[in-house]
Amino acid sequence: MRDYIRTVADKSFSIMTITAVVLIILALVGILFPMISKGSKAVFFTETIEFRKMQFAKFGRGSKEEIESQAKESDEYREVVYEKLTSFSRGINSAKLIKSTRSIYRNYGKSLRYQGVEGSEYANLRRNAKRLRDHLCDAFKATDKEIISKKIAEVLDVKYSQMFAGTQIEQYFTIAKEYLEATETIDLSRKDEYTKKLKELRELLHQLLGPNPDEKTPALSMYRYGATRMDMANIALDNFLWIETWVQNGDRKSLMKVRTPRKESFAGTPIETIFDYIPQNLDKMLLPNKTIYWQYFIDDSTPGHYFGGIGPEILGTLLITAISILFAVPLGIICAAYLVECAKDNFIVRIIRISINTLAGVPSIVFGLFGLAFFVIYLFPIIGLESKSCILAASLTLAILTLPVVIRASEEAIRSVPQRYKEASLGLGAGKFSTFMRVTLPTALPGIMTGIILSISRVAGETAPILFTGAVALGPLPESILHPTRTLSYGSYDMAVGDRISQMVPHNQYGMIVSLVLLIMLLNGIAIVLRTRISKKLQQH
Amino acid sequence: MANIKTKKQPKKIVIESDNFSFYYGDKQAVKNINLDVYDATVTAIIGPSGCGKSTFLRSINRMNDLIPNTKIDGNLKVNGHHVYSKKTNLMNLRRHVGMVFQRPNPFPKSIFDNIAYGPRLQGIKNRNKLYEIAEESLKSAAIWDEVKDDLKKSALALSGGQQQRLCIARALATKPDILLMDEPCSALDPVATSKIEELISQLKDEYTIVIVTHNMQQAARVSDRTAFFCMGDLIEYGKTGEIFSNPKQKETEDYITGRFG
Repeated sequence: MRDYIRTVADKSFSIMTITAVVLIILALVGILFPMISKGSKAVFFTETIEFRKMQFAKFGRGSKEEIESQAKESDEYREVVYEKLTSFSRGINSAKLIKSTRSIYRNYGKSLRYQGVEGSEYANLRRNAKRLRDHLCDAFKATDKEIISKKIAEVLDVKYSQMFAGTQIEQYFTIAKEYLEATETIDLSRKDEYTKKLKELRELLHQLLGPNPDEKTPALSMYRYGATRMDMANIALDNFLWIETWVQNGDRKSLMKVRTPRKESFAGTPIETIFDYIPQNLDKMLLPNKTIYWQYFIDDSTPGHYFGGIGPEILGTLLITAISILFAVPLGIICAAYLVECAKDNFIVRIIRISINTLAGVPSIVFGLFGLAFFVIYLFPIIGLESKSCILAASLTLAILTLPVVIRASEEAIRSVPQRYKEASLGLGAGKFSTFMRVTLPTALPGIMTGIILSISRVAGETAPILFTGAVALGPLPESILHPTRTLSYGSYDMAVGDRISQMVPHNQYGMIVSLVLLIMLLNGIAIVLRTRISKKLQQH
Repeated sequence: MANIKTKKQPKKIVIESDNFSFYYGDKQAVKNINLDVYDATVTAIIGPSGCGKSTFLRSINRMNDLIPNTKIDGNLKVNGHHVYSKKTNLMNLRRHVGMVFQRPNPFPKSIFDNIAYGPRLQGIKNRNKLYEIAEESLKSAAIWDEVKDDLKKSALALSGGQQQRLCIARALATKPDILLMDEPCSALDPVATSKIEELISQLKDEYTIVIVTHNMQQAARVSDRTAFFCMGDLIEYGKTGEIFSNPKQKETEDYITGRFG
């Protein structure tokens, strides 16, 4: 009976351990896989012509002729859409039409005065022009088709066309004709509604294809291009084709999302066709192409990480990590050497040990505030540096954060160096210091490397300590270690809390996080290879 | 009982212990030892476990300094200099008094680096010079033929006996006058042991050797003089032949014949 219980206990123990391992692996896969699959889209994706235009303008990549010929090709298909929209808007946008009509009249008046036209003739021309203007404006304001055609007919009278031949007023006749054509197909009673919807439509089209031809180049670079990636283009297309509304079905019921085709709101108008035309010809308008954007890792980005890469972030992370390791490791080894080789077991040493262990458990934001208060505000002015956050302050703060890890690992490593090595060295006439440098330290190095690996992971990934001491979300490359820098950890934090940016460029956010993970893995890989080589050297060949 | 003076020897006295005592905390591990070690002889120290023989040996080059809470009494002189005087340069002392430990303890470095460790500490940087010293020491330690082809190999790859001979070579590389051996064969098999013993008899013309051993046959085989320690006291000290064939003290006789210890 007891044997039976023992067998069951043994088996359940092995099952439990296997289950634990499987769970850990599943958790890892569950966390890492979606992250990596989303993050890899920052590098592997389908680019559009807009991406190529952006790359040429920002980084000078690609050939100008090729991009221009491609742009020409895509513009052929785009123009169809824009023409339809323009002619449609001519028919409905009264305010704009009236404005342009008035400005033509004003300009004409000015030009008459410059030409020095005689008094009576001047008055006559001016009066007739004014009459034309008023007729047109009336026609634009009207919603009744009869009134419109009557007014337009008056404008298009032959006597006026003779009178104003070769002057600016001739534009009136083209405008009048176009307006007449446009109004024939549009339900004029819905003019205001259409105006509003058309504006929205133009904005959505902007997201898909970039600025409309008649628009000025936007000041912000994120508005200068349409969808640079096919995945974003498909989202923009979806927004273009469907209207999402939240509708409450009855009292005390939750809101429901309802999708209706945008096409319906333009039913019966000449632009109805573009809702079929755009999806059919999207590829021709955007010219998609599968690409590997490896420059993601070296490129600078536009503000808000809308376009471009994470080069400065990677550089900053490497710099901060390297400098803090540079501070933490020698200091940690010296501390550990003191604790193992020199310290006697007394009250003060016990206090030091407790302090080190406590330091390891302090929340990282506390280190951040300490770094701000001590290094940036207190220490820097004393040693003659400017009291502002910078790479040096961030590195020092992180060095203090990671010091306990280095000290503990080094202490263990130094303690585990066999006493007989030290005896042998001392027996050969070496002093304490040369014994430590020549025998203890080299032998303890693999263990110390473990501490360094742990602290690299910690330092490269920390956000809170550098929040106030040296990280910025935007800004140029640091000129020296006395300037703040962008880092991967702070960049991902900033994007996550930033205003909708993470929704607009999810690939970039995940790309940054995956890059951070990969960077840490790379650094650790290098350290592990080094450690293996050292310990192999220490062991038998 | 501790004041056993042997007949005057023509040989020079190298190590002179005068009423030397050693304490671990309050416990007196070595009690009022009076013992002279002569130049170019092999002196064996035998005795049961815990009798203070290793402690005495390690006092000669002050390796006991590593242990906290110890103190000494009396005088101990090496080549006429007080070992426990404040003026003593420890590094100099240990350079002149080499030591071979119970377990082979080569550094986890190459064979060459192991040998060159001592000379390098003395500031010798010239590689050819270091190589000369290494060859000389390895030849003296009778291991040259076995390792000459791969001096770059890790010392840890050698067998236990080879490692111990390497350690002897390493100790010889600093050109010491005295070689202390703390049970150098206790971790080795009989074949390796016999090689070490052979080596000791080769070395004794040039070096003064003090060897602590558990193995009485070994003491009888390799040493010229033998000291018998018991409970921290020096019971008997004299020529090896006399000690083993005709011990004057009863404890010595009991120990040698295997009645205790």
